Amino acid sequence: MGCATASKLFQRLRSLHQLALAHLVYPGATHTRFDHSLGAFHVAGGLAKAIVQSDTEKRLVRLAALLHDVGHGPFSHVTEPILQKHSSPAVLVGRQESKIHEFISAKIILENAELREHLSDRERQNIVGLLDGSFGHSYLHEIVSGPVDADKQDYLLRDSYFTGVKYGIYDQERLKNTLRVYEDNDDLVLAISIDGLHALEQFVLAKYYMTTQVYRHRIRLVTDNMIERAITLGIEEDKIGWLKALYSYDGTDGFVQEYLQWNDERLMNEVLHQKGSQVKDLFDRLHERRLFKCIFDADQNDFPDPSTRSFVFAGSKDFYKPLEVQIAKQFGFDPRHVIAYGVTFNSAIKTESQIPVLHKTKTTLFDDESAFFKSVDQKIREQHFHIYAPVEYKGDEKQKKKKLREFKEAILKFIQTLANPQQALPLA
Amino acid sequence: MKPTDFLLCLVDASGGKVEGRTLLQKRAFFVTELIGSDFGLKFDAHYYGPYSATVEGTTTQLKNLGFLQESSTGFGIVSDGFEVRRFNYSLTGDGEQLLEGLRGTPEYNSIKTATERVLAAGDPNYVELSIAAKAYFLLKKKEGGSMSVAELIKEARKYNWSISPESIHRAVSFLSAVGLASEG
Repeated sequence: MGCATASKLFQRLRSLHQLALAHLVYPGATHTRFDHSLGAFHVAGGLAKAIVQSDTEKRLVRLAALLHDVGHGPFSHVTEPILQKHSSPAVLVGRQESKIHEFISAKIILENAELREHLSDRERQNIVGLLDGSFGHSYLHEIVSGPVDADKQDYLLRDSYFTGVKYGIYDQERLKNTLRVYEDNDDLVLAISIDGLHALEQFVLAKYYMTTQVYRHRIRLVTDNMIERAITLGIEEDKIGWLKALYSYDGTDGFVQEYLQWNDERLMNEVLHQKGSQVKDLFDRLHERRLFKCIFDADQNDFPDPSTRSFVFAGSKDFYKPLEVQIAKQFGFDPRHVIAYGVTFNSAIKTESQIPVLHKTKTTLFDDESAFFKSVDQKIREQHFHIYAPVEYKGDEKQKKKKLREFKEAILKFIQTLANPQQALPLA
Repeated sequence: MKPTDFLLCLVDASGGKVEGRTLLQKRAFFVTELIGSDFGLKFDAHYYGPYSATVEGTTTQLKNLGFLQESSTGFGIVSDGFEVRRFNYSLTGDGEQLLEGLRGTPEYNSIKTATERVLAAGDPNYVELSIAAKAYFLLKKKEGGSMSVAELIKEARKYNWSISPESIHRAVSFLSAVGLASEG
């Protein structure tokens, strides 16, 4: 394994922050994809030791966990929608279900020269197969990519530690020791012994709390949206060629070679040298922590009219742009600096609900078995609609609240009109 | 059609209510099979029968947006100490209001027709629909899609499914009645 960790490819992960700009909220959150990948490798090794029989498969599981994030670019998940938008449609065919960094990872694992020196063709193909679920029984894939995979088991504890919050803590040792391999149809899947039910509940809650309190922290949402908007403006308005090339995956070796030269710091530095550009303007703000503010936060209760509620939370995002323009016009913002964003906090239980729970004489599902999740009603699925803008509040808290009320009233009216355009027509 | 609209139409076509999460899952599965489009619900067929995380998530979304009402019925404590509950879903006034824009569309009509076929085939409960789904899974897997009841039972045992001949007969009758299999 040393060969893989010593590679330039793997060392690059030291320059990618695990949580993008979350350190603007949690100053300690400066850990990197390198730390996390080593952690996932360690956790996967422990799981493999406990439940995988074959030495070859144990090695593959560890390697897959180690290399699972090599396809991340600057600011990791935050810029993934941009990569998705600007990449060649031909390379995305049939991969709509996957995250784009996952198949860039696969390409790198298969073709990177350093890895080819140390891992055989077959081994690299099997690692990719294990990551995408096409190799071996399902439980091997589930160790590296599933509801209780080594990735989540590591990042919950690691992110919790580095941010300083305690939400992500769960009994990892107990979870590991109670995971089992279960025969389902002609496949082998990951299951949990009834003895580990509470450890799994604790894990699910840790994931839920970390999502609501850290990954979707209100300031984190602002910084993520500012990064995405900045790069989009850099590509679409500033027409910066190298920036567009960085986010235009075309499936070629040339793209991957160039992509691997980039990290968070280099992107930030290069962008800050683009004098007079839109992208620099927003990155200056991020660099100096002059962040946009959330000027509108609405949930379903703010939309008594059913069709408007459905329009905002269950419809397409086509209305975001015209809404941003209207808000900008009304309040004197640059429309490029008004960002509409829908955020969903999913149920605490998602894919975990279908994990088999093994009793001595029967098998049930986690969803049916967990008395705790049944009693607290796990079906929490909050949806919010936000607007971010570069507002500076003047005066005291009372005046800020007054301004926020003014924003809310106007924006609700704009949305109502966009949702029901026929009502806005003048009477004949 | 969006998954939210599909589920609203399904509940409407079911008489405005569906009793039980499992029943909703299985009924949605058979309706999509009959129509020949999954409406983005992405059912996974596995040991426990077809399951769609999208159906589950969308049901919750509809509940939270106030278009479906969720209520539950308790069936007492079972031997292992857990309470058995059934979750029922019915349209709210707001849900009815949204449906006004969907009723009469081609998609709505196809969902209504398929749902009526499922209901007319004996309105099976969730247990019977689950068994029918398992039988349908086995039949689809078998080349040529043809198996005797004895073969179905034998095949089911390979998957550790314990299904009685009576249940299989009822499942096959249901599949035959909705047009997804033929008896013989």
